[in-house]
Amino acid sequence: MSAVQRIRGGIGADEEYWLAIERGEFRISRCRHCKSWMWPANFRCGKCGSWDIDWEPVEPIGTIYTWTRNHAVSEALAERQADLPYVTLLVELPQAGGARVAGVLEGDETALKIGAQVRGRILPPSDKAKGYGSVVWSIESDAA
Amino acid sequence: MTRSMRGSAAIVGIGQTPYYKRGTSPDAEMKLALRAIVSACDDAGIDPRDVDGFVSYGSEHNTGQKLVPGLGTRELRFGALAWTHGGGIPAAVGIAAAAIHAGQADVVAVYRAMAEGSNQRLRVAVTQNDTPAQFLVNGIDMVMQRSAMRSRRMIEVDGVPAETLETIARVSYYHAQNNSGAVGHGRMLTHEQYAGSRFISEPYHLFDCSRENDGAAALILVSADRARDLKQKPAYVLSVPMGAGADGGSREDNHEPYTSVGMIGLAKRMWAESGYGPADVDVAQIYENFTGMAVQSIIDHGFCTAQTAGDFVTFDNLIAPSGSLPINTSGGNIADGFIHGMGSMVEAVRQIRGTSTNQVPGAKLSMMAGGPGDSMTSTGLFGAFETL
Repeated sequence: MSAVQRIRGGIGADEEYWLAIERGEFRISRCRHCKSWMWPANFRCGKCGSWDIDWEPVEPIGTIYTWTRNHAVSEALAERQADLPYVTLLVELPQAGGARVAGVLEGDETALKIGAQVRGRILPPSDKAKGYGSVVWSIESDAA
Repeated sequence: MTRSMRGSAAIVGIGQTPYYKRGTSPDAEMKLALRAIVSACDDAGIDPRDVDGFVSYGSEHNTGQKLVPGLGTRELRFGALAWTHGGGIPAAVGIAAAAIHAGQADVVAVYRAMAEGSNQRLRVAVTQNDTPAQFLVNGIDMVMQRSAMRSRRMIEVDGVPAETLETIARVSYYHAQNNSGAVGHGRMLTHEQYAGSRFISEPYHLFDCSRENDGAAALILVSADRARDLKQKPAYVLSVPMGAGADGGSREDNHEPYTSVGMIGLAKRMWAESGYGPADVDVAQIYENFTGMAVQSIIDHGFCTAQTAGDFVTFDNLIAPSGSLPINTSGGNIADGFIHGMGSMVEAVRQIRGTSTNQVPGAKLSMMAGGPGDSMTSTGLFGAFETL
């Protein structure tokens, strides 16, 4: 996996997140000292000043914080062109301090709305995810 | 405010090339930059060789040092770049004003030049290097989808009516009809056209999105003292705060409050430093990369709240000359042309001069909000002499 060209847009503190995904684990970073959840990942906890970061396993369950249905993508996402239209989400993770992760929705869209509960499924690295492992989300069937 | 540069510098020259469809500029990007700056100097009655400071924002490639030979600059004394994209426009004006205020430069050009053929900005500069893995891995490409998601929550959770997005688009096209240089001139946007246009990223239709042009625009700033002796009616820089709050900055959409476009704290600083408030503003250019972000910018600035947005963000209220807050009076990024919002800054100056094609009669206080949703952004208030 180290052969994958890493995306440079962020600050570069999230490598452990992607390595965990490749092992089939969903982990979010957390300050070892003050226990604040840190997302996006950082090198230093801005709340307490600690440099010690833990990557804690988190169950990939959350709620849809917001979403869009994409009908167009630029060349930067040419590998998604055939999937249009597709839905992307921000998923809020209450069990990780309300961290919001980005993701693609798969499966039935009937119950798609802000607040709906979603569950993540980890996918191995793929061309579609630019050589990265990723988490895709599906809406949990309504228990009621 | 014990320390302030309020009113110490003024915009005395404006210059612009025509807008070209992206990728079709007859000139290289550097030539566009030179044309806009020279035009702004002519407008001000200043010799281009006397420009001694250069400020831009975002991914501007045409640095001051590259402009020196073409302008015949006598001495380059100051150069800087505001650290953000469209959010950096009033900030760039602020850097120029600060340099003048501090005696580091006398004549400063603030400018933006874009030619897709020369710099391939969309394809290379932004999408490849600025978008974090979290988004690109998950099918989200730069700002559009992220803005769409923000506007979705603004509508569904904050309760802002979805119709406000259409209002921004239609106001822009309405104003473009009087502006013969506007990309949208001669093409009025009707409700039916808007509603019938395809979705790009829901809730955004085609007409909710700005589309980049090739072109360049420039301002010339000098000290307030010097401004009095020049050709044009000066637009004084009253307040141009830049920044981000404690829960802002680059957080990959984990900023708070989420639906804010980062202007709440900036607006408070601007009203405090300038001594004016939202009700005093005669006319505003509200940077709209996407209509929903402009609606939230209006809310962040305190012109209305999420609860009252449906009453405030209406066609009649936002058009010149009769609305209580005419916005985007040249047609804005959406219907005038989009060179990263710099055209809106030029229009903000025209309103103070009285030379807009959609002039607000007697406009004295003219606002320009920078790019909404940038992780650092800026906003600005400019005024005629009477506002000092």
